[in-house]
Amino acid sequence: MRRRAGIGLAAAATLVLASCGQSEDRSDIYVQRFFGECGAVYGALTDVGAAKGECGIVTALFNAFKAENRDVGFDVNVVAWPGYAQLAAQMAAGDPPDLVTMHQSVISDYQSRGLLEPLDSILAEAGIRPQDFTEAARRGVTRNGAVYGLPWDTVGGLYHVNTRLFAKAGLMRDGRPILPGSAEELLKQARRFKAATGKPYFIQSQVNDPATHVRNLYSFLLAQDVALFPDAQHIRLRTPEARRILQLFRTLEAEGLTTRNQDNPAAIGSFLDGDGGVFPTGTWMIGPFEQEATTKGRPLHDAYAVFPYPRLWGHAAAYVDGHAWVMPKRSRTPAQRRALVRLFRFMAAHDFDWSRTGHLPAFKAVIDSPRFAALPHRTDIAPLARIGAPLPGMVRRQGAIEGLVGEEIAAAIAGTKPIDAALADAERRVNELLAQQQ
Amino acid sequence: MSAAAAPRLSPVALMLVILGAAIMAAPLLWTLLLSFKPNADLMRDSGTAFSAPYTLENYAAILQGSSLVRWLVNSLIVSLGTTIGVLILASLAGYGFARLDFPFRRTLFVFVLLGLAVPEQAVILPRHQLFAWLGLHNSYPGLILPGLVGPFGVFFMTQYFRAIPKELDEAAMLDGASRLTIFWKVLLPLTWPAQATLGVFTFLGSWNDYWWPLISATRSDRFTLTIGLASSQMNYAQTSGLGFLMAQAVFASVPILIVYVVFQKQIVRAMAGTAAR
Repeated sequence: MRRRAGIGLAAAATLVLASCGQSEDRSDIYVQRFFGECGAVYGALTDVGAAKGECGIVTALFNAFKAENRDVGFDVNVVAWPGYAQLAAQMAAGDPPDLVTMHQSVISDYQSRGLLEPLDSILAEAGIRPQDFTEAARRGVTRNGAVYGLPWDTVGGLYHVNTRLFAKAGLMRDGRPILPGSAEELLKQARRFKAATGKPYFIQSQVNDPATHVRNLYSFLLAQDVALFPDAQHIRLRTPEARRILQLFRTLEAEGLTTRNQDNPAAIGSFLDGDGGVFPTGTWMIGPFEQEATTKGRPLHDAYAVFPYPRLWGHAAAYVDGHAWVMPKRSRTPAQRRALVRLFRFMAAHDFDWSRTGHLPAFKAVIDSPRFAALPHRTDIAPLARIGAPLPGMVRRQGAIEGLVGEEIAAAIAGTKPIDAALADAERRVNELLAQQQ
Repeated sequence: MSAAAAPRLSPVALMLVILGAAIMAAPLLWTLLLSFKPNADLMRDSGTAFSAPYTLENYAAILQGSSLVRWLVNSLIVSLGTTIGVLILASLAGYGFARLDFPFRRTLFVFVLLGLAVPEQAVILPRHQLFAWLGLHNSYPGLILPGLVGPFGVFFMTQYFRAIPKELDEAAMLDGASRLTIFWKVLLPLTWPAQATLGVFTFLGSWNDYWWPLISATRSDRFTLTIGLASSQMNYAQTSGLGFLMAQAVFASVPILIVYVVFQKQIVRAMAGTAAR
């Protein structure tokens, strides 16, 4: 009995001593991410080059980091997309992760409340210089002159093109699609396309997907240098520029030059089955479409190309967003900080691997590299990193704004609301939302 | 009531019932069908669900997921813990309100009933802060305790106890039984149908709960099945992993299905009883 008690006491003392040591020199870091859970397939993979897709690549990357840094306790928490409800809850409870994935458009919501660490010094320690980021990525993570995230990519809308149907419509030159150079030309080409193929020029995801119309609106407003947000509290949508963008898409809809009533899966299915010429959707679809394009017997086989949005007005421009790694404010030991420095360095060094997802790299050196150019279609879409711009960093609640604007302009494009009324309502609703921000 | 005595449905009513059942069953069958299809086929066209090939790869992917068993166990612990706790508390409170005479009984009962009118959204922030202050997030008590506060259960059990004749209590008292003995040995066994109904509803509610576990269980080792399955999906899961998504839905509903099958009689009886009242 006495012996048992002695063993118990010794074990307890060891535990206490061990935990004391841990609290001072703790190097364990706790990372939270979305992109899904795919441990079943990639749980043990450390060869990043062998992984595919967002989930596979990020899982393999973290496995590799773990394997290379065995002295760092590395805990990864995968949350349901996009994970902001959990993050807000964790912050409210005073227990946020050390590092977390965040859309660049969301950074303002947290940074403006003082919930994120500025990363300038820790990135400098890791040897990462903001001037090495692409222009789009740098703007995406910079707020008030400070960097609040390690940019991980640039994500934006692209014109995914069925070149076989384009050829049938006589819209190919030297093996490349002829994209329109103005709104009038777009209408002309779309009508010609429909007459030649019997199919709509556009395939659009318009149901439950406000981002589709908002991406168009923001991109073409940026092209015309419209100050969409004159200040942090106001949006300006009742402009001739916004009106003519909506008028164009209303005409396309009214003349049946686009698919109607499709949600995202339906629109993807339509594009894969060759039911239309252009599918404006994101960088993340390059991989699946390319796979179809290289599969014999599929409607898209040898018939796929992809480009940034064409310049219809003003200059070439595109609204973009991106993913970033941010550090919520919390106390950290020097050892944890050193571990995070190592992780930042590792992530930056593997930006190319991430670009295999279809997203554009956040580093100029990667985008200019031959190995990036060797990936399918990447030279065609690389200009997006140069012409892409996010909304101004001062604008908060960008996700909610997208929902409000998307709802109103979808009504205008569908013809259920006059364009002027839709723009006025969108402006009023967004301004009411922004007025609530302190 | 015997089966022979059951009233016969007219052909029109029977057709309507069959039509209603088909409408109810169609989405379930559609989900099941999709879960056996390769994701790549569904990405092209979900209409391919009606034709071969079919596969078990979506279910294999679920079972290979290392955390799934953990999430399943977490869900069972939380749902069973909540159910047992609600049954104990609601029975005791129901008995008290129905049978005992104490100061402010009516006021207290009205106060409890007011809880039915307060939506969870209204209390979620203070509750979250309270649990953070108590250090209960990412713990089983943190997931179980909020579910125990169930005004519906108290109301339900109070009504049930009230419907039991008081003569039973009086007879037991004459035999020298204490209040606790009357509750435990005389009245509680009579409330078995109500207990079963309340238990099933509580279990189902807790099993399907998404919101509170989403913000309280933020560490994956404390995820319940609903949160764990959601976390394993990518943004465009409905596009690139539709079959997997459906397999997850089927997998998550299996325990619920078992509960329904086992307690079918109690559920039907209770629903019929509630309607008759």
